[in-house]
Amino acid sequence: MSGSDPDVDADAEGDPGGGFGRDRPPRSDGRLDSDRRQGTPYTESQVIMPTVKIVAPFAFTYGLFVTFHGGGSPGGGFQGGAIVAAVVFMIAFAFGIEATRQWLANTVVVALAVGGALVFAGIGLVPVALGGAFLQYELLPIPDPVKYGMEGVEILGIGTIVAGVLMGLFFVLAKGFSDAGGFADADAFDDEVGDGPGVNGDDPASDGGAAAPPPGVTDDGRTGSDASGPAATDGGER
Amino acid sequence: MTGALAALGPAGAPVVAQVTAIEASLFAFVVLTALFTALARDVLAAVIIFGAYSLGMAALYTFYRAPDVAMTEAAISAGVTTVLLLLTLAKTTRIDHEAAFESVNLPAAGAAGLLFGGLMLTMGDIPAVGSPDAPIWSNPDVTQWYIAETYAETHVENTVMAVLAAFRGFDTFGEAVVVFAAGIAALIVLHREVFA
Repeated sequence: MSGSDPDVDADAEGDPGGGFGRDRPPRSDGRLDSDRRQGTPYTESQVIMPTVKIVAPFAFTYGLFVTFHGGGSPGGGFQGGAIVAAVVFMIAFAFGIEATRQWLANTVVVALAVGGALVFAGIGLVPVALGGAFLQYELLPIPDPVKYGMEGVEILGIGTIVAGVLMGLFFVLAKGFSDAGGFADADAFDDEVGDGPGVNGDDPASDGGAAAPPPGVTDDGRTGSDASGPAATDGGER
Repeated sequence: MTGALAALGPAGAPVVAQVTAIEASLFAFVVLTALFTALARDVLAAVIIFGAYSLGMAALYTFYRAPDVAMTEAAISAGVTTVLLLLTLAKTTRIDHEAAFESVNLPAAGAAGLLFGGLMLTMGDIPAVGSPDAPIWSNPDVTQWYIAETYAETHVENTVMAVLAAFRGFDTFGEAVVVFAAGIAALIVLHREVFA
């Protein structure tokens, strides 16, 4: 772990020996996005935060415009959903990924992705129920069915799937690999791949994980990495 | 750039006149950023230059009047992909390099050059950009049919969206499911049950 910090948000302090801020003392201000929780350096920037505050509403509106006006101008659900997700990325970089994660709960992200898939399939299946073919918009029981059926698919289907999945990819990549598996219990997280064996005794799947645990330490109840040799870089936190 | 393209055009075809300064500079920008992406030794630099490359491609698509593709390129490649790659870098180590650029791997460069040359040999048969006689534009059964009939059939002006959502809606459903599956696959690979 001799690399320099990968400045996603430029970290002015510099931390020559730091494995991504893990060797620093945890922030004392109790922020949700402190290094201990987040694992990546975050610095409040007086430039980035106001800029994002100003730009985000416009970018969000543009994303909605691209989505909702896809029938009459370039764009559509895919592009609009990506722009909406990019707004969330912007907010996360300005105000901290962990804070954004708290604000935009997993339920919202999953509801966007799953809801979009269900709406798309539902709009496709209504004509089937009415005796037609999949996505045969003419049979939808709404005025101007082809136009508004397509708009429904683009806005409520594709746009929400793309926005939800991209946000989800962002959050899950920011969190990294989980040796423990299981549901998000922020205190039980251990973000590094090499942290050792599956430590949750109640999750049998984690023992077969790709982390190649050393033999003989799979059944102890340790929840930290203090004794696992090859990955002691973050042991200082505990 | 202009000369290179002119030499590759079919004899007598006025290719030169169609390569404007904006186009040529966009081409130069895209080629240079692509080269720097391949040669940059520092991964972070390569990711950032790759984002610039995508932005150049988006501008080029806009120039060629493909705004739907340009939007996708700008949002997905320049924006989202760059962010996701940066996040991934934040989870890995980044080595400090002395040299700014990789030394060129000659066999790889030779193979790429051969492929490039082979593709360039086909350039003479490709119709000029924007040519009204290009088959992909002028054929009455596909492109012209969609342009003429889209509004009557679907009541939307954007032919691209009509093709995506209506004429080939089932394919698009498959693509949307692929995107959805990508999210699930990321959860499975990273051993997580929530996007958190």
